[in-house]
Amino acid sequence: MALFSIISNGLRSLFRRRRMEGELEEELRGYAEDTVQEKIRAGESPDEAMRQARLEMGSVDALKQDVREVGWEATIESFLLDVRFGARMLRKNAGFTIIAVLTLALGIGANTAMFSVIEAVLLKPLPYSDAGKIARVGSTRLNQEVSFGSSSPPDFFDWRDQNRTFATMFAFYSTEVALTGRGEAQHVRELLATAGIFSTLAAHPILGREFRTEENHMGADHVVVLSYGFWQAQFGGSPEAVGQTIQLDSQPYVVIGVMPEAFRFPLSGSDVYVPIGFRDNVMTQRGAHYLYVLGRLTDGVRVAQANEDLKGIMAQLRKLYPDKDAKWDVAVAAWSNVLVKDVRTALLVLLAAVGLVVLIACANISNLLLARATTRTRELTMRRALGAGRLRLARQVLTEGLLLAVLGGATGLLLAHWALNAIVTFGPKDIPRLGSVTLNGSVWWFTMWISLGSALLFGLIPALRSSGLDASGLVRSSVSSPREALKLRSWLLIGEMALSMMLLAGAGLLIRSFVGLRAVNAGFEPTDVLTIDLSLPNARYNTSQALEMYWNQAMARASTVPSVTAVGAAYPLPLSGDDCSSSFDIVGSSIPEKDQPSARIRAASPDYFRVMQIPVRHGRGFTDADRLGAPRVLLASSSAVRTFFPDGKAIGRILHFGAHCGQEKNEGEIVGIVGDVLHDGVDSAALPTFYTPLAQSGLDSATVVIRGAGVVSQSQSARKLLQDIDHQVLVGEAVPMVDLVDGSLGQRRFYMLLLGAFAALALTLAAVGLYGVISYSVAQRTQEIGIRVALGATRGEVLGMVMRHGMQVAGVGLLIGLLLALALTRTIKGLLVGVSTGDPITLGCTAAVLLGVAGVACFLPARRATRIDPAVALRLD
Amino acid sequence: MSPKSEKLQGIVQGTLDMLILKTLALEPMHGYGIGQRIEQISNGVFRVNAGSLFPAFWRLERKGWIKGEWRATENNRRAKYYLLTDAGRKKLQSETREWRAQSTAIARILEAERGEV
Repeated sequence: MALFSIISNGLRSLFRRRRMEGELEEELRGYAEDTVQEKIRAGESPDEAMRQARLEMGSVDALKQDVREVGWEATIESFLLDVRFGARMLRKNAGFTIIAVLTLALGIGANTAMFSVIEAVLLKPLPYSDAGKIARVGSTRLNQEVSFGSSSPPDFFDWRDQNRTFATMFAFYSTEVALTGRGEAQHVRELLATAGIFSTLAAHPILGREFRTEENHMGADHVVVLSYGFWQAQFGGSPEAVGQTIQLDSQPYVVIGVMPEAFRFPLSGSDVYVPIGFRDNVMTQRGAHYLYVLGRLTDGVRVAQANEDLKGIMAQLRKLYPDKDAKWDVAVAAWSNVLVKDVRTALLVLLAAVGLVVLIACANISNLLLARATTRTRELTMRRALGAGRLRLARQVLTEGLLLAVLGGATGLLLAHWALNAIVTFGPKDIPRLGSVTLNGSVWWFTMWISLGSALLFGLIPALRSSGLDASGLVRSSVSSPREALKLRSWLLIGEMALSMMLLAGAGLLIRSFVGLRAVNAGFEPTDVLTIDLSLPNARYNTSQALEMYWNQAMARASTVPSVTAVGAAYPLPLSGDDCSSSFDIVGSSIPEKDQPSARIRAASPDYFRVMQIPVRHGRGFTDADRLGAPRVLLASSSAVRTFFPDGKAIGRILHFGAHCGQEKNEGEIVGIVGDVLHDGVDSAALPTFYTPLAQSGLDSATVVIRGAGVVSQSQSARKLLQDIDHQVLVGEAVPMVDLVDGSLGQRRFYMLLLGAFAALALTLAAVGLYGVISYSVAQRTQEIGIRVALGATRGEVLGMVMRHGMQVAGVGLLIGLLLALALTRTIKGLLVGVSTGDPITLGCTAAVLLGVAGVACFLPARRATRIDPAVALRLD
Repeated sequence: MSPKSEKLQGIVQGTLDMLILKTLALEPMHGYGIGQRIEQISNGVFRVNAGSLFPAFWRLERKGWIKGEWRATENNRRAKYYLLTDAGRKKLQSETREWRAQSTAIARILEAERGEV
């Protein structure tokens, strides 16, 4: 039969139910009359005929029910009936309902929020057409762990031109420039790329044209493609913008195009896109690693094939250029994977953790339902005796669960909405796409499924138990199941305790490693230090003299801020995310070029070390005499001395550096040794570092650092002072150094807070569950306890007896949880610093917390047990 | 268990449907009559009670093989007569064909003697 008629027949009978019931009744009456007539005709007395007819037909109501159950609509009807009945039951037990719905809402809400985060960060495809084909190509150190570093232009050109697996490939790097010539200098995010960017990202300008390959040459590179937002802000969205000129760092750039509104590259977005203008001698710069490379795979090519392809090319390059490429390799991976490499494990661990929370919530509700099922035994047995099938009863109990799940799910969505707002506002900024988290369609689906799943999970055991009731149980009025139910409930509780213990242990380890990290000395003192980035337009500051003069002026001006004790400047600043390194050779030691060591390079003013409180350990620090024209000098960090001068004799040695970070080749004599700084954060290692005087560096951007009690609160006036020197200079926001330190721990704090919250939630739920079960067992045993007291049991004995049961449950759960924790905390090993996964102190403390909470949860009902008056208890029932 | 069927226990649902269709193929009939007719024709082998008949009517009507119509009976009582529809007639034919084929096959198997195979 056609689906249509199945549906229409069903609907018709649903709507004409009343008429059809009437017809059926009449039909049955006629049938009964005929039967009676027939019997009378066969010679029975009318009474006897009636009796026999009734016997033969059986219960008319049951018969009607049988007829009704033909067709799908009957299932819906009985479901609606169940829903109505269930709703009535839930309303009648408002206390139970509120607790169950809240418990579920917390579990489901936490899961929904966590899933939304994972959906936005890990699952949602990148916002480019056919983004799965975009692969990251990165230089890596030969035979070392893959870590997708930057690449040199010649390597990039060779990969691009020789590969057989990529359709297109491009290189890029980003920087910040000043938009000048339009009032106050403005900060602009600039992305420099090769011409392949448009075809690789499959994104094209809505206005104007793309870069041409020949524009990737110095001199031809002064063209710019605008982002949609920049176009709107600067040109009011006028199509006339194309062909106009804008000043970036005081250089003219011709606008050639505008990108679509939705286009963002990188994911955080850029304001302008400019071609990289390579110098003519670019092919000689094989050692200059500063480009990031992305490619679009040819149709049908897998990442692994591309990886092999490029590794083959790189093997050739190693042979061709042993001096520069000998230690380099290349790796290819899906871009989306590389982006989330660091956060994936943490987010998945958190998702697993909330999964456990919802399991605990389900166990709790299951427990509550079981407790209620025991009191409802009579009702259910009665319905069974009246002819309700086992399946029908189980369905009824499951429907009640479903109602709870729907209410819990809806409330959970609301909680998740709030949680996500908080996550977007306060979450760490370095998790890609965390800011774009929303409750979208797939999250709704997830919430629906997890709600239904929980309904099944917590409804199943009670449903099975209720359907297993025997109608004959009604006769024996005291059903023997409570004790058995208590055992079942104890097992559920043990499970809850074990899961809580696991989560607590994980959270404890994260907290301990976070606290440990906060205490780590990064090699400088961030308190009372304000930092301001400065970037000079190089058209105006095109000589080293002009630069030196500006830096001196800026530091002098900054020291006029009240209560300032020292002002310095440096580039790059620790925790700024910027870094700079160069290879060098040591005069007097003959090292072939390919084996040249490399180290981090910083430029710093004399007082930088005073502001940051980086100690000068040997020799001298920089002085104002180390200026342009004076002999070039260097400071070495302690770890640089350890690494490159094992004999400790560093002072007086002369080093030659290659070109790096805007500095020309230069040399210098080591005049002092300073303390190590953890440049990339307290969880990073101290790297060998050399400092050059800022005045001798010729750098056109640096960060001014200002120390003074309370200087942090004067950030605006400090910034204004610097702006007033020259309005063409790009003056960044004034950021307290402590904020940079906090930001560097942002991800860790985020993970710690979330896992901590989940663990606390789990423990609370488990404690409430424990409290409920013990209270219930006390209520059940009121008589028994009364008898014991009457026979002379002391309060202490009663207290101990009740507590023992609860603490046994908690203890067994704790042991199981401890074992699970030992087995599973390995998954968060990557998130721990300075703490082993089986850290006895952490595990001991969390176990103590769990036992303490369990103790309180048991003590409250146990105390109630001690107050049982035997006379009252014995009179019960 | 509700007292549903005594003699019909061995009859599969589909078979009862076929018997009802066949009865209605002879002439339109009301519920009681159909039960009587089945009992008569089968020489009392099948005694179908109301508990089986009415759900079956409902089912067949839902499938569109029979349809109900209120008419007056010979004793002038209003009763719901069931009529075979075209679809029902077709269904009966195909069912009958299949039944014949099956029963012949089963009979042959049951009566098979040694050496015959």
